Amino acid sequence: MPEREITFAQAVREALAEEMRRDARVCIIGEDVAEAGTPFKVLSGLVEEFGARRVVDTPISEAGFTGVAVGAAMTGLRPVVDIMFGDFITLTMDQMVNQAAKAHYMSGGHWKVPMVMRTTLGATRRSAAQHSQSLHAWFSHVPGLKVVLPSTPYDAKGLLKAAIRDENPVVFFEDKMMYKLKGPVPEDDYTIPLGVADVKRAGDDITLVATSSMVQVALGAAIMLEKEGLSAEVVDPRTTWPLDEKTLIDSAKKTSRVIVLDEGYGRYGVTAELAAVIAEGAFYDLDAPVKRMGAMHVPIPFSPPLEDATVPTEQTVFEAVRLMCKPA
Amino acid sequence: MAFSVVMPALGMAQETGKLIAWRKKEGDRVTKGEPLLEIETDKAVMEVEAPADGVLAGITGSVGADIPVGQTIAWIVAPGEKPPAENESATTAPAARGKAESHAAPVAAAAAESPAVQGARISPKARRLAKELGVDIARLRGSGPGGEILASDVQAAAAPMGPGSPARKSASLEIPSTLGRLMAERTTQSWTTVPHFFVTREIDATALNEYREKLAEIEHTHEVRITHTDLLVAITSRVLLKHPRLNSSWSADGIRLHDYVNMGVAIAVNDGVVAAVIPNAHAASLAEIAQQRRDVAGRARAGKLRPADIADATFTISNLGMYGVDQFSAIIIPPQAAILAVGSISDRVVAVEGKPAVRPMMTLTLSCDHRAADGARAALFLNDLVQAIHEPEKSLA
Repeated sequence: MPEREITFAQAVREALAEEMRRDARVCIIGEDVAEAGTPFKVLSGLVEEFGARRVVDTPISEAGFTGVAVGAAMTGLRPVVDIMFGDFITLTMDQMVNQAAKAHYMSGGHWKVPMVMRTTLGATRRSAAQHSQSLHAWFSHVPGLKVVLPSTPYDAKGLLKAAIRDENPVVFFEDKMMYKLKGPVPEDDYTIPLGVADVKRAGDDITLVATSSMVQVALGAAIMLEKEGLSAEVVDPRTTWPLDEKTLIDSAKKTSRVIVLDEGYGRYGVTAELAAVIAEGAFYDLDAPVKRMGAMHVPIPFSPPLEDATVPTEQTVFEAVRLMCKPA
Repeated sequence: MAFSVVMPALGMAQETGKLIAWRKKEGDRVTKGEPLLEIETDKAVMEVEAPADGVLAGITGSVGADIPVGQTIAWIVAPGEKPPAENESATTAPAARGKAESHAAPVAAAAAESPAVQGARISPKARRLAKELGVDIARLRGSGPGGEILASDVQAAAAPMGPGSPARKSASLEIPSTLGRLMAERTTQSWTTVPHFFVTREIDATALNEYREKLAEIEHTHEVRITHTDLLVAITSRVLLKHPRLNSSWSADGIRLHDYVNMGVAIAVNDGVVAAVIPNAHAASLAEIAQQRRDVAGRARAGKLRPADIADATFTISNLGMYGVDQFSAIIIPPQAAILAVGSISDRVVAVEGKPAVRPMMTLTLSCDHRAADGARAALFLNDLVQAIHEPEKSLA
């Protein structure tokens, strides 16, 4: 039987609907989550099925409703918070970093915060500097938080269900440019454990470690490289924490060359951490320094040509690989 | 007190030396004169001896590194004593600078010269594999984007020749030793950059043979056999003093004329040839020359040459007479201006006073750097040399 194909947005919605049917404690809270179904129409139809008590629209008050969710999680619910643009996580930082991430530890294990924050990342949507950032490194830096970066519809469904069932606060970043991406997604109930990387494509000459939006870029570049006789392996960590270091290091040892791709800022960013993990673990198996590619260190411009120049593309990745692999 | 161990200068133009291996470890007791480390210069691989008794400490020179001449690479200290820290930082500074420079233009460096000369970069993986597979990285040419030696280069060098593959043709491929590689590089450099010309003379060696017979007494007293080569070293050194252009060095600034003769003597060793030096040969007695040549030849064949043994020759003699060679042309060893190739002494029929006669004849071929000397100067020198060989007693008086 041919596998069913649905979009990334549909996969997220399906995961939420299935979990809400399975567990009455799961609820959604955020801006425009009910009738509007979010600006990206990810949640369309949920309020109709589960009602306004479980799909709660809020005023523009990220710090407030994130705090509500932290409290609800501590007292028995399993809320899924919706932060429309990843740029707005700045408003939720105290609740996430000082409350959600610390409660279990500081209560001596008495409290748990089984909540999920869903939010977005990614540029090239012409949304300008305050709606285009990829700030997942901020949460990845904090002990007590798990950070998930799905890159396909299949992963989105399996990882979101695992995140909702996790007993810890999990931040789930969705690439807003990926919502319409289609891919095979089983109708069954399945979860993908957090902390297990996925080799999206096997190769021999170079490893492209890519997260979220950059996985599709890496896969596109790999096809271009194939025509040049270069075989690229694409490895998707899927979660920045917990991090599947072994799969990254094993792939680096196999191919001897690595480029790390992530749409966040490179400086002190996810690429820096992944590159360091690989350099430490595979140093004596590397044929070249680990290269990093991420967002340019600038506020994302509104001008479309300028915006496009700030993030890695299939072409720039292709060229970087060729430069790294070409003989003298 | 602490003695510094420095990268020695073995040649006039030498700027750096490559550290090949430490014979002693940090903390080892060493005795003055015993081999401490091995270095490689553009001329040869050789041992450096401990400058004092004590304990080896504060090693900063790492194996494989190209180190500026004169830089401290370790200390010999008294037991319990710590190596001086201030000097350490002061003397390592030039190394750091050198490293930064070489990193600034890796592509240019790789393109310009062979990696062995430039100290090519090597990937961590390639370095590990080279160690595991026993591959000498100095012999490798890197194929990375900047000429870096990669894992694949090491693996290719280590791969055994497969049966039936095209590699069968090169089944007898011999990888040269470090000395062999140096010889290849130096002769190529000389042959391709020094404008050689050759002047040949046949000489009646009757007087030379007779003179050598008369040296039995010297040989007995000094317990040393004096060879034709020794005689030629002594005679040629003295004649050279009158022909400074043949005893000179071409440089961009001008022709450097030497008023002494450090005579190099080509000596065949296992995997190539080295030119051992007899310093101030123009002033040395026959017995001294014979003694020195025998000692240095022994060390050369044992692979135990000392820095001074090969440093700063101003002229070289290469004698293949003992191999039965009649005549040959030698390649000049820069920055020297000339080299004398000596053939065997063998009986030939020659015209003597209009009649055929049999005489022991020898052929000398002088190779000259045309930038330092022209044909006429070379001919005049050979003339004088032939004259001196005809009258050895007088020329060595």
